[in-house]
Amino acid sequence: MRRAARLLLRIMIHAPVAATAGCAGVQSVLSPSGVEALQIDPLLWTATWVGVVVTFIVLALVAIALYGPARWRSRLASDWVVIGGGIVFPVTVLTGLFVYGLVVMQAGMVRSQAADADMVTIVGKRWWWEVTYATADGEEVVSANELRLPVGRPVRLQLESDNVIHSFWAPKLAGKLDMIPGRTNELVVEASEPGVSRAQCAEYCGGAHALMALYVVAMPEDEYDAWLTQEAEPAREPQTEQQERGRTLFLENGCGACHRVRGVGARGEIGPDLTHVGGRLSLAAAVLPNDREAFARWIADNQQIKPDNLMPPFEQFSQEELSALAAYLESLE
Amino acid sequence: MRWISLPGWEALLFGVIIAVVGGLLLGGIFVLSGVYNVGATVRHFDATNALIRLTLRRSVETHSFGVGEPPDLSEEALARLGGRHFALGCAPCHASPAATQNPVAAEMYPAPPPLSRAVEHWETKELFWIVDNGLKFTGMPAWPGRERVEEVWALVAFLERLPEMDAETYAEMTGLDTQEIAGATRLEFGQDLETADVTAMCDTCHGAPGAAPVHPLAAPLSGQKPDYMERALVEYSQNRRQSGIMETVASELGEGQMEALARRYAERESEPILSPGALDPEAVRRGQTIALRGAPEGNVPACLSCHSTATSGQFPRLDGLPAEYIATQLSLFSSGVRSGTVYADIMAPVADRLSQQQIEDVAAYFASLGTSGGAAETSAREAAR
Repeated sequence: MRRAARLLLRIMIHAPVAATAGCAGVQSVLSPSGVEALQIDPLLWTATWVGVVVTFIVLALVAIALYGPARWRSRLASDWVVIGGGIVFPVTVLTGLFVYGLVVMQAGMVRSQAADADMVTIVGKRWWWEVTYATADGEEVVSANELRLPVGRPVRLQLESDNVIHSFWAPKLAGKLDMIPGRTNELVVEASEPGVSRAQCAEYCGGAHALMALYVVAMPEDEYDAWLTQEAEPAREPQTEQQERGRTLFLENGCGACHRVRGVGARGEIGPDLTHVGGRLSLAAAVLPNDREAFARWIADNQQIKPDNLMPPFEQFSQEELSALAAYLESLE
Repeated sequence: MRWISLPGWEALLFGVIIAVVGGLLLGGIFVLSGVYNVGATVRHFDATNALIRLTLRRSVETHSFGVGEPPDLSEEALARLGGRHFALGCAPCHASPAATQNPVAAEMYPAPPPLSRAVEHWETKELFWIVDNGLKFTGMPAWPGRERVEEVWALVAFLERLPEMDAETYAEMTGLDTQEIAGATRLEFGQDLETADVTAMCDTCHGAPGAAPVHPLAAPLSGQKPDYMERALVEYSQNRRQSGIMETVASELGEGQMEALARRYAERESEPILSPGALDPEAVRRGQTIALRGAPEGNVPACLSCHSTATSGQFPRLDGLPAEYIATQLSLFSSGVRSGTVYADIMAPVADRLSQQQIEDVAAYFASLGTSGGAAETSAREAAR
């Protein structure tokens, strides 16, 4: 009996650790790396532990009520236990948690007043993200499917949608916030350490909802500023004959109808901006790695990879042509 | 249950079983022995004939109930388009005002009726249904271009005029009066023909240099990109692009001929052949916006980012194509009739995003450009700037 009790105790201690060990990834609430997430973090643990403690108290009281000595049971039946434990205690604890939650969750709202924050607009698409950075001199730099942040500098995210409701959730940075057509929701995030984390659309938005994610790259401030300056530049010229051929194919086959590549006459506004697509960590909203093979696969097979996305399949290319296109796109860093 | 006389009931059941088994046995012997003569020389009994005719008439009457409303069949150009196909696809079996029935076809059983008489027995929608669906057990095929209703209506428009048609009018309606092929009684494409002769026949529908096509559904081809034209012919001949009229023609052509034809039409000087006066200037203006800039709010890319002379030879030029042709093709794309090929799969999702209004607007815009092509390219360059 005593052995069984010890085993039970051991399971109770180790289970949460075992269950959460697998959660410490790029998309985990349990390993915050942003100021907002770090503020929310204690709220999560406080609420969880208060819940755990209350559960054990209740279980103990139930055990006493069932098996305890008669004296304990009669004490438990007294009015003050019912009034104190049934009304005063829950009201106090829940009110306390509620107020605490309000104070913590309010943080982002207050910080959004900070006017000097960098601004990034993220528009939810079917099924990808358009990410537009506003530079210090008022210029807009359009990119897609990746969010870069300067460490230690708050950034205002303007969250929008031009179709259905999406939800932006970068668990390591902050809580989730919906992207609603016709309005702009604002979320302030501040990365506290450099590194890559992952965000996911957190509101069902159609067939490929699960395939709508993006990487958030937090970089030291100076690196970020250098990156943004480079991102604002037009596309890199082809360096090899193969890349040159890829660019010709890109333009001849109408890719510019939907995709913008600044500096080469591709002015589409429907698909992701590809000016610096080769410099991103992933393709197709964190669905594919960013390499030649993935580019080639996406061009011909995108409807298999992300069914019903807005890009038609382009199956007219030979292997050689696909390689050239992929080489060109990969070179757009 | 006393009132049912059991012995009588059992006898009846026994009789029925004997009849069924005996019938199956006799039927089996009849079929398997081969005594029935399936030869076309042995005619049906009069009673069988009457029953077949009744079944056929009732079936056509009932099924033609679902046929949609016809377009304006009084349109002369539509009947001419149908006439071109008649000379190619129907006359070989059904005879025509220019030629008596082919003796081979005359020995079919049932023999294909001379249509100058037969069409009078059917209502317009019934004719449509027969041409579209064909008739089982008679040798009458269904329309080769699946769901190309506007083509079937063209043929019906011609058939309705056929009873009063003399040989001279027939030659004029079918294009057989063209100088290069005068004397022929029907159109006949073939792999052994010279490109010039084939071109003359293509021209009877698509228009000789400087002349408009016989009907807006037949695209003018002068100055079109050769790669696209050759691919179109290949797709028609392989039943991958639907058109009862073009499939019939393309299947008769050899690969070398297709390439030669495509090159010949591509080299032709294109001249403006349409009078854009009939087009609504407002529609043209709206269409121009879509052609140059697309409709990004509806995820529609600019037409000219693919359909210009600067892009792949597989993307056809659209400038100067008749509005009706463009609108029809866009509807075929969006309804899924034109699909299943590499290039159709690119166009289909885009066409599907266009509203009917937008389809008519872009069609009007491209029609307004004549066939010179200059206007489209100029405006594309302006937009690029």
